[in-house]
Amino acid sequence: MVKINFFKMLAPALLLTLLLPAFSIAGEEEARKLLIESEGRHRSATLEYGGELTVYTKEGKTRAKGWKSFREGYAGDAKVLVRFTSPPEVKGVSFLSLSRVGKNADQWLYLPSMKRERRIASQDRDASFVGTDFSYEDMEEFDHRRYEVDLRGETVHDGVPCYLIEAIPAGKDQKSVYARRMLYLRKDILYLARVDLYKEGDKEPSKLFLISDIAEVGPHYMGKKLEMSDLKKGSRTIVILKDIVFDKPQPEDRFTLKNLNREGGD
Amino acid sequence: MLLPAGALAFDLSGYGEAKGFAFAKRESGEDPMFQGWATLLVKGEEKFGPLYATASVRAEKISSEEGETGFDIDDRGLRRANFSLREFWARVPLGDSFDFQAGRFELGWGKTDGYSPADAFLPRDLTDPFADEKIPLWGARLTGQTGDLRTELVACPVTTPWRLPEMGRRYAPLDFDPEKIIEEEETPPKTGFGALRLLLTSGDWDLGAWGRFGVRPAPLLNFSLVPSADPFDPNLLVTRRWAREEAGGVEISRVAGAWVLRAESAYLRSDDPGLGHALIYTLGVEKGFGDSTFVATLADNLKDTPVDAPLLYDRALLPALITALNRTEEWGSWKIAWTAGLAHGDGLLKAEIGYDLTDSLKITTGGELPYGSSEGPMGALSSARRVRLGLRYSF
Repeated sequence: MVKINFFKMLAPALLLTLLLPAFSIAGEEEARKLLIESEGRHRSATLEYGGELTVYTKEGKTRAKGWKSFREGYAGDAKVLVRFTSPPEVKGVSFLSLSRVGKNADQWLYLPSMKRERRIASQDRDASFVGTDFSYEDMEEFDHRRYEVDLRGETVHDGVPCYLIEAIPAGKDQKSVYARRMLYLRKDILYLARVDLYKEGDKEPSKLFLISDIAEVGPHYMGKKLEMSDLKKGSRTIVILKDIVFDKPQPEDRFTLKNLNREGGD
Repeated sequence: MLLPAGALAFDLSGYGEAKGFAFAKRESGEDPMFQGWATLLVKGEEKFGPLYATASVRAEKISSEEGETGFDIDDRGLRRANFSLREFWARVPLGDSFDFQAGRFELGWGKTDGYSPADAFLPRDLTDPFADEKIPLWGARLTGQTGDLRTELVACPVTTPWRLPEMGRRYAPLDFDPEKIIEEEETPPKTGFGALRLLLTSGDWDLGAWGRFGVRPAPLLNFSLVPSADPFDPNLLVTRRWAREEAGGVEISRVAGAWVLRAESAYLRSDDPGLGHALIYTLGVEKGFGDSTFVATLADNLKDTPVDAPLLYDRALLPALITALNRTEEWGSWKIAWTAGLAHGDGLLKAEIGYDLTDSLKITTGGELPYGSSEGPMGALSSARRVRLGLRYSF
């Protein structure tokens, strides 16, 4: 008769149960450390660029848009102003996003046809940003402080070794379109190269954000090509960044509602 | 040379549009079953260092419509001119916090969609009442921001009057033979209005208050019978008068989860017995559903204001519920809007689909279906039911 030693059977499971949180805490600490290091390395006081944006639909149609983007601060303290410059149908449409510590960013859209700004509801950030594959939330800078993060291992993306970090919105206060993000952080320069975006209930990512043509622009690294693919719709939006300027002092009123409503302004 | 050539950045844009309407019936023999409408708008923008200037002109032809020929620089005529100046303004910053703008420009103050008492002073062009287009103003404007407080001061020295549809026709039906209606062209008063607005943003809240005084640009109509060749069949003379009105209002909006809630209230007073006082409020909500946006606005006047549908176009509708659903698609966009007049059970259903042939070329089709009791301002437009098809090229 075979004697079953329940203790011997349970011991490895108990040990694993006790050790798992320790590994998880280590993974979280390591991930947080990497993200803090990444932010420290790539933080710039300001950023300006001109974007050439093309939307590729599932049917193969293309739609081109031009914009100018201004940013002050970085990640959790970022202020962003975007002004569309073409085509004529969206020219003058402008977007202002002001980060708030520990909360969703305040966002407004100015529509020249209405001659006034509209507030974007904080939980309405899944809407398409001016007909692109970017949502309003995608226009915000990623702030790791608002996420529970975990280092899930290492991988290779586009031939470059990367850390693979999982980010989940932290707590009930952190509302997000996405239930989970997988961040690919390049090991060599700690620069974000890819993000897999999962919505609630997704086993496969809903959207894929790729950052490529990463090169040094003055004292900072910059991905000059941004690609957002909506894997469910089958469409993608590619932004080519031009005329990139870092750390240029911005006018005091650049990131204000008054300036958002200023037609023909920067 | 005062301005370096390198600072110049002239930009030319605009659109050409051709659209056609097919109507279900005629209000009178003068109303055609089909109508064509062609528009060309050209806009130029220029930056001279810190100074920004823009000008736009519109050339237009409406078939079967008594459009005024020539160039109407101040847009104060009874009918829409074939050539008009839309924008002509320059803006210069005054220090870090204020901008000064002068010339001819459009304003948009209303917070709630579809109806706003804050916009009652702003002139509208109701040549096509379903399009409900704004008429730009001649004036000066000072805008500023200090911290979270925004200030806006507007002075319009000259009245820009609302443009009403032709009386007795399908967009302004009267129980009178349209051929016997004489609309007299008067000169609107020179004095316009002044207004001050303060806006404060605090967290999820946006708060505002405003005050205005001056001439109300929506005219009041006087009807009188005048002799004709047949003494038993007189003509109907329609003249206009403009009343002075003072108004003050508050506006509030906030983000509440997935919703944006908006409310406005305004007290408007006038000594003109045809206009009277009004206490108008609006409540509005907006919610996004992915690429769709739903908006709803309830508007009402709490005062017993004298209202005659053809006399007070903006207040005759109240109380009303205005709802709209917009959606952006990969191929274009569509929209459904429903305005329900709650006093008479009348209303207006609008639908529009736009298909983007290219980035610059768009084809649109849609229709307007006013319905219900002819006692209400929408139900009275039953002969204006129409479908339309348009092609627009932007450059």
